[in-house]
Amino acid sequence: MVISSAFLRHGDGSFVAMFADTEKEVLINLTEQLIEILAERVDAVHTDPLAAMVNMTGHDSPPDDDVLARLLPNAYADPVDSADFRRFTETELRSKKRSHALVVRSNLLNLEKSTVRLNEESAQAWLGALNDIRLALGVRLNVQEQSHEQLELLSPDDPMRGVYAVYTWLGWLQESLVQALMDDFDENDSHEDEEGWEIQT
Amino acid sequence: MVKTEEKADELTLPSFLIDRPWVTIVWDDPVNLMSYVTYVFVTVFGYSKERATELMLKVHNEGRAVVSSGSREEMERDVQRLHEFGLWATLSHDGEK
Repeated sequence: MVISSAFLRHGDGSFVAMFADTEKEVLINLTEQLIEILAERVDAVHTDPLAAMVNMTGHDSPPDDDVLARLLPNAYADPVDSADFRRFTETELRSKKRSHALVVRSNLLNLEKSTVRLNEESAQAWLGALNDIRLALGVRLNVQEQSHEQLELLSPDDPMRGVYAVYTWLGWLQESLVQALMDDFDENDSHEDEEGWEIQT
Repeated sequence: MVKTEEKADELTLPSFLIDRPWVTIVWDDPVNLMSYVTYVFVTVFGYSKERATELMLKVHNEGRAVVSSGSREEMERDVQRLHEFGLWATLSHDGEK
């Protein structure tokens, strides 16, 4: 039996957490879903080689899927400016997010004795991927500023109840990783550590 | 040649004079952790933890905050970085959209 633990920063600068088997499986599953959803859109594949060379995706409209639209948001209020920006940047954004998720997947698949040990670079990849998964779950759960009490009251039969449990667990996990990474800032910063971080913005 | 350059200067000067900076705006969303948003502001902009916390609270309390300003190209880079971190960011020329 394994007792899971949140991320802690160790003396050697590594970030260490422990995962129970079920937690590991859930996180691998979600990471693979994230990798899949970030794969190139097939609806308008650009075949112009010159466009491909300059990283143009040919996509100039926001994705239809709500999750993808949240992960790859518009950069401008103006739809024309937004389309131009997206055409030149979306491919890179997708590949950055995918690479974060791939780091998490690979670390979890190669887990030794349920302990994840990360250097700072991998820790940042984990942080980004955990956040993207939470953003995706938040869209599916329709999380709003005041909806947490409602989500707490979901009936045990509601399939969303399990999803919400995973969402809150990932929030706890991500919070621990943020705090562990922020220890660095405190070492270079004379300000006293603020107490009482709340969970939600 | 000389005349052409003079003419070009005349043409570009007025828009140069009224040029306003572009701004990057971060919008509140119900999923991102407060600590994470602070962490991102420190990491992306090199702000102190204190300044980053102030900006995070502004986003949280007012629904949005201007987090950087500069040329359009610089702001596009900032927005792209913030999108990589999953923050909801846009750039604008007047800070109102």
